[in-house]
Amino acid sequence: MLSRQAGDRTVPTLVTLLVIGVLLMTFDVRSDGRGVTSVLRNGTQTIVAPLQKGAAFVVNPVLDLVDSLANVATLRETNLALQQEVAELEAEIIALDDDMARLEFYEQLYDLETTGTDIGRTVAEIIGRPDPLDSALIIDKGTNEGIAVGQPVLDTNGYVVGSVQQVTGGTARVVPITVGSDGVAVTVGEQLGVVLPQINDNILRLEVNPARNPVLAGDKVVTSSQSVRFPAGYPVGQVTLDAAPTGAGSLSSLVEPYMNPDNIRVVVVLAWPPDPVAAVTEPTTTTTSTTSTTIGGSTTSSTGSGDG
Amino acid sequence: MRLRTVLVVTGLLLIAVVVQTTLFSQTEVFVPDLVMLVVIILSLTRLRPEAVLGIAFLGGLTVDLLGSSVLGLRAMVFTIVAYLALRTRERADLGRVVIGLWAGMLTLGGVLLLLIVGTLFGQTVLLGDGVVGLLLLVPTANTILAWIFAPMVVRFIDRDTTAFRYA
Repeated sequence: MLSRQAGDRTVPTLVTLLVIGVLLMTFDVRSDGRGVTSVLRNGTQTIVAPLQKGAAFVVNPVLDLVDSLANVATLRETNLALQQEVAELEAEIIALDDDMARLEFYEQLYDLETTGTDIGRTVAEIIGRPDPLDSALIIDKGTNEGIAVGQPVLDTNGYVVGSVQQVTGGTARVVPITVGSDGVAVTVGEQLGVVLPQINDNILRLEVNPARNPVLAGDKVVTSSQSVRFPAGYPVGQVTLDAAPTGAGSLSSLVEPYMNPDNIRVVVVLAWPPDPVAAVTEPTTTTTSTTSTTIGGSTTSSTGSGDG
Repeated sequence: MRLRTVLVVTGLLLIAVVVQTTLFSQTEVFVPDLVMLVVIILSLTRLRPEAVLGIAFLGGLTVDLLGSSVLGLRAMVFTIVAYLALRTRERADLGRVVIGLWAGMLTLGGVLLLLIVGTLFGQTVLLGDGVVGLLLLVPTANTILAWIFAPMVVRFIDRDTTAFRYA
């Protein structure tokens, strides 16, 4: 039935292709995903994007239907919980309206003007993922809608999801914070730290250095003003493990992110930093800071890694 | 390769890429690696072995270009999987179940290789939550799909209605 045997040229072909593969990998790593490889990636994604959007248009409602049927037993409870949440949110809106009215009054009273620092938001739908092992998310908005490389991405609850890694005219690729190679500068209470992804785990590792106070399970972790990747104050997750500062003045704990990339269907891309050109031309998301202190003639230095 | 074969193989790879990145990217239990499966099935056809290796490389490169990991990673892994498939394909010619198991074993090897080489190149995006579970789920899904579709795809590409028919 199988009439053809592997010929003599199979091994030379294999070796040639493997060498090309290694060269490609080396070139891509050395060029940091920019230049020719970036053009190739954008071109391929641009060609495939219409097909992906068409397929997502058909597939997503079917998957939603299957999901609904699978969860039909819990629909009533979910509905009640959502009704309660809506009531609470309506009460919050009323309170916020009061605050806004008071703010406007004071602005008029003191003749204040807004500085125009409102962050633009683009809502996008997730249309797919590259393959089973690749945790990146492909969204249906791109440069045509103002999306740029490096912009932060939130879920619909405002929780941090990740950042835009690559963008084409009509699509963009988002890498979640739970798998990205860079950490996120965060604030826990009054302490600055960094959360880092872990292998085969959705839980993030929290490193605080220097640490002055312990962190407790349940403490909220939000993005820090020191972060160059995210605007300050956006919720990342909560601490799941009590930890106290060690003798060296550092602290290590675990953080469960609020978002779950497996359940996200819609995301919000923030137009931040306000100048997208800066985000594209300066995508250095990991920086290393070295501080030197001279005490009594001896010099000590400490090195920190994060995005801030 | 004839023009028809080129068009069929290109169409097959494109369908695999689109279905993989949309439908099967959102399922949690049934998670095949369709492009790898197409490469494995192509090794059962009468295509020249060098052509199968080239198709495997280009298929992997396409997934690399759409993904967030380093360029060339899947191209290399898929090429190795295709080579192993070409070297062992005689063993698959025993029945539908054997074809499925053979494809599943090759997929397991491919996924393991992908994780090992990816780890060596610092591709943390491949090592997210549930990666250990995927080592079981992806080969299982490919086993089932190969058991169902492999003989049909081989017959279609080779235009040989007698290929892989078992009593």
